[in-house]
Amino acid sequence: MLEADVEVDRREFTVRAAIVVAPGERLALFGPSGAGKTTMLEVIAGLVRPRRGLVTLQGRVLTSTESPAVAVPPWQRRVGLLRQDPGLFPHLSVRRNLGYAPGADRAGGELAHLAEALGIGELLDAMPARLSGGQAHRVALGRLLLAHCDALLLDEPYSGLDSGLRRGLTELVAELVAARSVPTVLVAHELAEAQAFADRLAVLDVGRLLQAGAPDEVVLQPATRRIAELVGYLGFVPVRPGAGGEMVAGAGSGIVAGIHPERVIPGSQPGRGVVLAGTVAASRPAGAGWETDLQVAGAVATCRLPERPVPAGGRLVVTALRPPCFGPDGAAVTGQAGSVGARQVRA
Amino acid sequence: MSWAARPAAAAGGGIRGDDAPGRRGPPGPGSGTAVPRAIRYTSGVLPVAAAGLIWLALLGPVIALVTHLSWSAVVSALEAPGALDPLVVSVTSGAVTLGVLLLLGTPLAWMLARGALPFPRVWEAGVLCSLLLPPLVIGLLLIFMVGPFTPIGELLGVLHLSATNTFLALVIAEVYESAPYYVLGAQAAFSEVDPRIEQQAALLGDRPRRVFRRVTLPLAAPGLAMALAVAWARAMGAFGAVIIIAYHPFGIPLQIYTTLQETGLASALPFALVLLVVALPLPLAAYTWSARARGRRRG
Repeated sequence: MLEADVEVDRREFTVRAAIVVAPGERLALFGPSGAGKTTMLEVIAGLVRPRRGLVTLQGRVLTSTESPAVAVPPWQRRVGLLRQDPGLFPHLSVRRNLGYAPGADRAGGELAHLAEALGIGELLDAMPARLSGGQAHRVALGRLLLAHCDALLLDEPYSGLDSGLRRGLTELVAELVAARSVPTVLVAHELAEAQAFADRLAVLDVGRLLQAGAPDEVVLQPATRRIAELVGYLGFVPVRPGAGGEMVAGAGSGIVAGIHPERVIPGSQPGRGVVLAGTVAASRPAGAGWETDLQVAGAVATCRLPERPVPAGGRLVVTALRPPCFGPDGAAVTGQAGSVGARQVRA
Repeated sequence: MSWAARPAAAAGGGIRGDDAPGRRGPPGPGSGTAVPRAIRYTSGVLPVAAAGLIWLALLGPVIALVTHLSWSAVVSALEAPGALDPLVVSVTSGAVTLGVLLLLGTPLAWMLARGALPFPRVWEAGVLCSLLLPPLVIGLLLIFMVGPFTPIGELLGVLHLSATNTFLALVIAEVYESAPYYVLGAQAAFSEVDPRIEQQAALLGDRPRRVFRRVTLPLAAPGLAMALAVAWARAMGAFGAVIIIAYHPFGIPLQIYTTLQETGLASALPFALVLLVVALPLPLAAYTWSARARGRRRG
């Protein structure tokens, strides 16, 4: 079990967040660049000292600002950190990189076995400079696993790699982490990467944890408009309660519906969400489909559609599938999710 | 070495398909063949001619030495009684100087490179001071600092030591003339080591001293060797400060100077050869070794 409840002063704001990660659990800290995600990892790794806080790992106190103050140095924490730069030792062969940690089993079968599992079994005598980016990351991961860390911290390790390679490595890490039941924290500023890896997603913004939950839940039921913006809602259309109690597009109530481009279907299907009837402002190809800016009730909603829509200026009717709605204060108004944003969130 | 520039170099097709062994990313600023090619494209005839001219001019003295020496003159000069004593003095004082630099200069260089000292500019100015002052002036000022009638001189006197015209004086003068070359070179060598690599070693369980031994030192070693080699060449050739504070015991530079004064150009030349033969092997060895070490690291 990894627990961290810390306050760290940064130049622009203070990071205040609390996370709890169970053995074998994979938590993704998701948020925009500069939200304080890396700071959280560095506090856990012992590289940054918090102003106030408590970090414990498997019952060991690693950092405590209460008396008696504790600050276990990084080399005694048994916390592995993987960054975008794999950080291999350039003067050591792959084999010696893998077996670098003092407790690593260098000669025994574990190194060879793991190297095979990572697909680097034939590179053991190569120097790091000869490796491709993907290979270097496999070696860095193997080195951490052989060090038998009690927790694994991944700081956007694969954001420099192309998407196919990134997916392969992310799956590999998830698999190996699950097999060793180590608590793992992944920091990501790309939602898909965070979702692909994690059992649980926590949204961090300007140093605060805004919401935590299952990877799909956070995206489908954002607790505030700000969270909705962070997880990809691109348009906020004014809505008001209709005759049957369901929401319909239209100004006056101060409530807006968050429109996620990927949760829009063509045509009018009132039973499945909010029907948006408006004018096409612009369209452009996006992936295998089309992305359209739809002008509706004085706002612009961006939608992904499978087929080319009518040209700009034409009328278009789409349905936003059960969009989350937000009041004037930005908090969600449907269901009980509305109160979550105001509470102290723990992830 | 541009470690920071090399990661994330991979691009490629499928999930496993990129991983052809031996595939390399684009060369960093310091590596490979890209740089010479760029020069070839941007330079014209004039810069090449200028480069060739200055190169020949710099090498000229060595050519002159080789063409003006006769073997018999060398043999007869070196067979004279006591002719090789200055060689022993120079080599031993140089070795002691290197020891002092390693022991005292390395920590300073490391802290300068890591920004671990308050007011780093002030510290650097102190190092540059002995580089920028003319050696002759350093010699003069050293008399006022450690000469017999100064507090330091008197303290040395209590210990039955003297810092004028002694082996100690020679070492002091050589340290002043060579220290900045070593400290600045070693600082550059340590700066090349990415602190995040050291951090990684610490997170893998190494205490700071072990990190220094297993990561920092091996990575900085080629640069340190070069810095040490340059310092050795400076110490061997130290003259300006030496002639003022340590006229005795005679090292090779003073031997050349006095021979020149007393018997003329021709008889001084053999000793110039001796100085080159003694001063140059270490730098050359360090250069080839560090070039090879860097090459190995690039794979």
